[in-house]
Amino acid sequence: MLSQFGIMFLFILTAFAFIGGILLFGKLLRPDRPTEEKLTTYESGEEPVGNAGVQFNPRFYVVALVFVLFDVELVLLFPWATVFGQPTLIAETGGLWGWFALTEAVVFVVILALGLAYAWAKGYLDWEKPQPQLPTVATKVPTTLYEQVNERYKRPTTP
Amino acid sequence: MTFQTYDCLQMLPIILLSLSGIALLFLGFQKSRALLLPATLLFLVIAFVANFLDWGKTYMYFRDMLLVNNLAMIFTGVVLLSTFMVVSLSGSLADDEDAQPAEYYAILLFSLVGAIMMIGFENLIMLFVGVEILSVAMYILTGSDKRNLRSNEAALKYFLMGAFATGILLFGIALLYGATGSFVLSGIGNYAHSATNAGGSMLLFYVGMFMLLIGMLFKVSAAPFHFWTPDVYDGAPSLFTAYMSTVVKTAGFAALLRILSVSFSGVYDFWWVAMAVVTVLTLLIGNITAVYQASFKRMMAYSSISHAGYLLIGLVGLSQASKPAIAFYSLAYSLSTIAAFGVLMLVARNRPLNAAVFGDQTTLARTDEHYDAFNGLARKNPLLGFVMAVSMLSLAGIPLTAGFWGKFMVFSAAADRGAVWLLVVAVLMSAVGIYYYFRVVIAMYFREGQTDTIRVAPFYRIVLIAATVLTLALGLLPNLFQGLI
Repeated sequence: MLSQFGIMFLFILTAFAFIGGILLFGKLLRPDRPTEEKLTTYESGEEPVGNAGVQFNPRFYVVALVFVLFDVELVLLFPWATVFGQPTLIAETGGLWGWFALTEAVVFVVILALGLAYAWAKGYLDWEKPQPQLPTVATKVPTTLYEQVNERYKRPTTP
Repeated sequence: MTFQTYDCLQMLPIILLSLSGIALLFLGFQKSRALLLPATLLFLVIAFVANFLDWGKTYMYFRDMLLVNNLAMIFTGVVLLSTFMVVSLSGSLADDEDAQPAEYYAILLFSLVGAIMMIGFENLIMLFVGVEILSVAMYILTGSDKRNLRSNEAALKYFLMGAFATGILLFGIALLYGATGSFVLSGIGNYAHSATNAGGSMLLFYVGMFMLLIGMLFKVSAAPFHFWTPDVYDGAPSLFTAYMSTVVKTAGFAALLRILSVSFSGVYDFWWVAMAVVTVLTLLIGNITAVYQASFKRMMAYSSISHAGYLLIGLVGLSQASKPAIAFYSLAYSLSTIAAFGVLMLVARNRPLNAAVFGDQTTLARTDEHYDAFNGLARKNPLLGFVMAVSMLSLAGIPLTAGFWGKFMVFSAAADRGAVWLLVVAVLMSAVGIYYYFRVVIAMYFREGQTDTIRVAPFYRIVLIAATVLTLALGLLPNLFQGLI
């Protein structure tokens, strides 16, 4: 006699067997002519350059974390909204239910807003642009001279 | 159960700690850091008082999620007291340029919420949430010394292994739910009682139980799940090592005690052998490896493993008597560990590490935490020497200190169950313990060394003295505490 978990196990086994069988079947049927283009990673039509394990700017992580803050908020607020408006519950408690649910949601949102305010005040939301510093050289040659030289030897623009 | 709207008004410590944590985060925006430490201590005192408001009553909160009774209040009190002492030793954070004390204090308070959940959980979901709140906070604090490579390494190790253990814990909870159809402790306990009487296969239940126990044993660093402990305790800043080795351990054992006594007491015959084996392993590995350490801090890490072993003896001899025994042991252990780390921080801060002396291995650490740092300490600093000596005696379990009564109560709980061979191992290992604890005492009192007089802030001094006095008082009058439970 199978328990509920036994059925789950059978289901998993079947899934593996099915996928394995399909792949094997495809391998037997299809022609096999690999080229270099076919074997490279498909990157939305872009030509892949370098390794996938590059370092990302930590600012992206901060943005992702703040995003999670609001994601969690939504995950709770959608089911909350369906319970909040249930007429039967409101009728049973004489309107008290609505206020109770609203207060709870407000407490929740306020705590999340405090988190956002904290991140904001700490300056984590500022997207710092790199500010390139132009090197200054102590020289007697005026910079306008370079511009004149550039102007004179400018490559003719192709029409 | 009827719906109670006043529920949340009485679970005060959790709510107060969460709110004060948020308040601390925003206090951190002030220019001056002087207010942070007093504010944190004030919040902890308020939570401590609020915790004992319900004394003598038993409540179930949040629809059978959390239970509050006298035992839970005692454990919560121990945890809050330990945190109070650890925080009051953190005065130097305000001067550290790299440190962010507001965030550290806030994280400490948040992690206490998790600890309190672990102490009073009635639902396995609460246990999981509590473990995670506490663990995630610890991962951050372990790596809080951002410019120290060892601290980074420790945090990463702790995080990876901790996440793995959490997975096992969660798997165990899922299997238990599959077997019993309940997350509630008493529901699982009822199933265990009735199913053992009815006969039939309980494979799923047992596998779930052991996975849950493995997850929890990892968190309290019992062998063979202790591998992370030395590196993490060694790499983390001493302040947070003190917190980890006291609060996390106390909460972990409170949780183990709760789940074993409520849910699994019906299948005691099944798990006690496994727990006894874990206990013996923990005692052997913890004590014998501690002997070979050259660093005091690393020795304290192994010592914390061995104390997990002594606490496990109380669990193996599970009875009504083991509840106060484990609570008392946690308190005694926490007091002396925090005092020892308090002295260590002072000594180590006074001796910035000369990298050339110790070769490559320790150049990454900032301060000298070896035994040699204590040489001749007692001559110029008799107070520090005395505090350290008393806490070492207490950890070793010498009579007239709290540690002795802790061991005595835990051992007698196990003796009632007739686990005499376990006690023989434990007593032998305590004898080994005396060796490595006394190395510090010998270094302080009998070795020559150039130690200057160390300046101790008044409040720091008061906390050290209070811990020592409490250790001695509990050693002389253990009934003071026992009468409470």
